[in-house]
Amino acid sequence: MAAIAIGLLPMIFTDSYWQTNLIVCAINVLLAIGLDFVLGYAGQLNLGQSAFYGIGAYASTLLITQLGVPFWVAFVCGVLLAGVAGMLLSIFAVRLRGHYLAIASLGFAVITYQVLLNWISLTQGPLGIYAIAPPPPLAIPGMPAIAFSNLGNLFYLTAGFALLTYMLLDQLVRSPVGETLTAIREDEVSAASLGINCPKWKVFAFGISSAVAGAAGCFYASFVGTLVPDAFFITESFSILAMVIVGGMGTLIGPVLGAILLTVLPELLRGIGDLRLIVYGVSVTLVVLFMPGGMVQAARLVAERLRRRVAATPAKAKP
Amino acid sequence: MLTVILQQGINGIVVGSLYVLVALGLTLIYGVLVQINFAHADFVTLGAFAAYFITHLLSGNYFAGIAVALVVGGVLGWLLNATIFAPLRERGNELLPLIATIGVSIMLQNAMLVLLGPIPYAFDTPYSNHVIRFAGLFFTVQSMLIIVMSTITIGILYAFMKFTFLGKALRAVSQDRETAGLMGINPNYVIMLTFVIASALAGMSGALLGPVLVLTPFAGTSVIVKAFAIVIIGGFGNVEGTIIAGLIVGLIESYTTQFLDPGLIDIVVFALLLLTLALRPTGLIAERREENV
Repeated sequence: MAAIAIGLLPMIFTDSYWQTNLIVCAINVLLAIGLDFVLGYAGQLNLGQSAFYGIGAYASTLLITQLGVPFWVAFVCGVLLAGVAGMLLSIFAVRLRGHYLAIASLGFAVITYQVLLNWISLTQGPLGIYAIAPPPPLAIPGMPAIAFSNLGNLFYLTAGFALLTYMLLDQLVRSPVGETLTAIREDEVSAASLGINCPKWKVFAFGISSAVAGAAGCFYASFVGTLVPDAFFITESFSILAMVIVGGMGTLIGPVLGAILLTVLPELLRGIGDLRLIVYGVSVTLVVLFMPGGMVQAARLVAERLRRRVAATPAKAKP
Repeated sequence: MLTVILQQGINGIVVGSLYVLVALGLTLIYGVLVQINFAHADFVTLGAFAAYFITHLLSGNYFAGIAVALVVGGVLGWLLNATIFAPLRERGNELLPLIATIGVSIMLQNAMLVLLGPIPYAFDTPYSNHVIRFAGLFFTVQSMLIIVMSTITIGILYAFMKFTFLGKALRAVSQDRETAGLMGINPNYVIMLTFVIASALAGMSGALLGPVLVLTPFAGTSVIVKAFAIVIIGGFGNVEGTIIAGLIVGLIESYTTQFLDPGLIDIVVFALLLLTLALRPTGLIAERREENV
């Protein structure tokens, strides 16, 4: 069903403005499900998502522009590098409680931003890197080549990848791995007493989460065509967190909904401009206080109420 | 050369003592609640702006500005505890309050951005242009004021924790909330008090930092990231460790600026943070905390 929706969307929204938004949505969905895997399932707050996103974007772009590496090789390298960076960071902090990890990852995000800003010989600092080519056309034998300079095709690529990631993570959280991670989230000490190697699994979850963010970064670079460090400031981590929380952490569909809502809503309310982030902040706070399960919990409550109402009204006599 | 080292040492202690004030608030809250208040940074910024406007309104009465910033911080802390931390305490999820305060922080920062704009405010107190020369060293009266005020505040706080009933109650709650409750201490009251004290400290350090920092709605963020590093380096909930770590970070900052590059400050501080996490996860001054099973 999701595949059909992805297939139809660029046909419905044919203007480039909405197609651009669709691609942003797909990238945000990737970032959000990546964060949710480590936050919602393993219970570890990763505030470094902006850094891994940036590492993926800069690493793949620099490999392409400086070393002439083919796009897909650079893509894999970017994803791996982001994943390894995430694992290295969590190795430092996994022995500690959730709060330490949150702060260590936030610190990592600050540092990565500073490095991107100050390592001018490599990243060109605040001037940014320009004219990054879109992914090369995909040539399937016997069919016309698919060019990704076309926004609709680029959307198919990013959304297709997001869907693939979603399905893989979905399989993962339904498998014993998911149960192990949930056990760690619920009670680390008990999980350890059952013989679960908590640090190892936390590093694993962190690695997956940051690799997914790295993939999002690669797509972002080839889609926008320019890279500046400001795109990877720590506020980006907070925006991703807002998507996960508003959608509903601990489910995979929740962050997808949250990412789409928080990307599309500000576009619909164009007039609010600067107020966008205030909306993010308010919604995060209110959701945590009153509806910690986010949109998913709200939807369940509504469904439950409807079902009860249907059950309460006596079935009409059939003629 | 020696003068440069001494001069930068003094600059480092000035900034460091302010970081200590900010970090002490975080560490006090962590001590009683094992929670982090992300909006602490914005209390610093709001304190700085409160002091700025009061000082300008009262044509240069900086001390009135500091007092108002203190009150603003305290009220915000009370409010935050009442609306976020108290209702979430029963939920038992350790990450929810942290996430909620991130929400509050995004909200406050961007509200300030809309109201006050992104252009830095020039916060000149009657003391910032008064320079004293001594043995080849320069100090502004402002920086002396910062050292004196923060030393007095830290002293008062220390005496309060050590000698007054409330201070002892606060320490009792941070050691064991349930037992403290059995001894007739109302933990909710102590937690509320801790929030008020910690946030008043944040507001006041904002008032003192305002003239030194680039005063924008995001001023607090750069301070808080270092304050977080300080609390981890000093050991969460450890007051002495926080003071020492704060001064170390202040010195690192001024010497990095002098001898390396200002862009490297965060990187050096963060490297120290990672090193602490790897080698001494309980902080430089170790304090054993048993894991509850």
